[in-house]
Amino acid sequence: MIPKDLRYHKEHEWVRVSGTQATMGISHFAQDALGDIVFIDMPKVGAVVKGGQQIGEVESTKTTSTIYTPVSGTIARINADLKDHPEVVNSDPYGKGWMVVIDLSSVSEVEKLMTAEQYEAFLSTQKH
Amino acid sequence: MSKHIAILGAGPGGYVAAIRAAQLGARVTVIESHALGGVCLNWGCIPSKALLSVVELGDKVKKGADMGLLVQGPVSYDLARMVARKDQVVATLVKGIATLFKAWNIEHVQGTGSLRDRQTVVVTAADGSSRDIHADAIVIATGSSWPNLAQFPIDGQQLLTSKHLLDLDRMPASLLIVGAGVEGCEFAALYSGMGTKVTIVELMARVLPLEDADISSMMERELKKRGVEVVTGTTVERLERSPATVTAHLKDGAQVAAEKLLVSVGRGLNSRGIGLEQVGVQTGRRGEILVNEQMETSVPGIYAIGDVVGKVMLAHVASAQGKVAVENITGHHATVRYDVIPAGIFTLPEIGRVGMTEQQAREQVQAAGQNPDTAVKVGRFRYAGVGKAQATGDTTGLFKVISESSSGRILGVHIVGAHAADLVHEAAMAMQVGATVTQMAEMIHAHPTLSEGLMEAAEDVEGKAIHQARKRAQ
Repeated sequence: MIPKDLRYHKEHEWVRVSGTQATMGISHFAQDALGDIVFIDMPKVGAVVKGGQQIGEVESTKTTSTIYTPVSGTIARINADLKDHPEVVNSDPYGKGWMVVIDLSSVSEVEKLMTAEQYEAFLSTQKH
Repeated sequence: MSKHIAILGAGPGGYVAAIRAAQLGARVTVIESHALGGVCLNWGCIPSKALLSVVELGDKVKKGADMGLLVQGPVSYDLARMVARKDQVVATLVKGIATLFKAWNIEHVQGTGSLRDRQTVVVTAADGSSRDIHADAIVIATGSSWPNLAQFPIDGQQLLTSKHLLDLDRMPASLLIVGAGVEGCEFAALYSGMGTKVTIVELMARVLPLEDADISSMMERELKKRGVEVVTGTTVERLERSPATVTAHLKDGAQVAAEKLLVSVGRGLNSRGIGLEQVGVQTGRRGEILVNEQMETSVPGIYAIGDVVGKVMLAHVASAQGKVAVENITGHHATVRYDVIPAGIFTLPEIGRVGMTEQQAREQVQAAGQNPDTAVKVGRFRYAGVGKAQATGDTTGLFKVISESSSGRILGVHIVGAHAADLVHEAAMAMQVGATVTQMAEMIHAHPTLSEGLMEAAEDVEGKAIHQARKRAQ
């Protein structure tokens, strides 16, 4: 359930790096904890963001949760399909449920994020 | 002999004061230049709710297919018919006031009133003729008026007030709303619901800046869900106008173009041109008439109520102030309680609120030297956890109860969701009689009702809401 090729953030976001860009979304654990997602408030394309900053919100039938960007850069694209179909994040969090693409200001920042193994270990401490 | 009271203005302050005064045995003359019922009834609360209720119904029908209701073709709105029905609703209610006036022998004089001396009002009719009305006491209930700022020259075509937006015959393709207060958000919900592309610009950091932060952020999301472009933390620097479009250049450098622009900032108080200086009635910095607890102005025998006293600009507060004024005039003693004022915001979904926001509560205890983290307790419960809400499909919403830890006193209640403005009155009553949050939680609430959500939020103050997963220890 935790793809090996991604990097993870403690707030349960994932990033996939390709060149100088990173695609990000929320993890399976996050979507499962949220339950049925009904709305995603996305940042604007062109917005300059800093790692750890709040960039949006995910609303589910149960709760509302903040989306943090794990990396710094500029929002290059957002997944417009999620506007009408936010539930895709529940069904495919690592694929069609991607949220934004960020032009990275520093590729090395990604190195600070957790690997799949580290995230799995981290999750085991989160279980209640 | 009974007292004669002259009342300037027949809005929700003036007409209610008139009827109560008559009930108390006074002879009453009401002077009104426009329509009985004032702004609230003719160009405010009632007409906007009449239009919004259609969009609310349309929203429900749009969800119909999911619920098993099949309707042929898409939902569309006939604005002309909506406006005609709205006019009919208003006419019925205006007629109702006229009937009540007749029943209580209240004289209605059409015209503009101005004070000549402590006991005389000069009324000028539309045809220029004038007459003097002598009274033992005078109540000023002249209200407030639409924005009139140099930066936004209202023309009724492109630059509009809310009054114009209640009478459009055609849906604008796009609408820019300046000011995301109560009125701005209500019109954003209304017009976006009918398919107009709406952008709303607010100077403060969030929409509904005076509301509880949780309610604001939820409303911002709800507006975005409807496709409203929400721009906060900036303001309009200048307008560029062409016959078809008005373009607003914002302070942050962005531009917004729209077919029409609603100015929803800065209502003016109607305290000019009514002879206040003539008789020495004192006004404050904003032009508000200064009154004491009995609603009496600096001039004995002259009272003022409603928006023009600039305290809380709500129709029902004006009504309460009106009753208090005439009770005092007729020899009774009454004052207004300002700490428990429920209010509704008719967005989609609607908002009901009473008392302090969480931030105000925290600031208050902090000012008293207490730690806000422990002195203020908050309970929340979401509509989705309420069985009735699931059954009716109204699952978007939140109940929030704010209480004082030491006493259990309820400091504020904020609800966003279906029927919120009605639901909040239980909390208002609890606050009015000084009930504690535990008493509210322990009162049996009928199942299945939305009111259960308020009970659960009250229970959640102590972490005991039944239909809520246990909170993880921090």
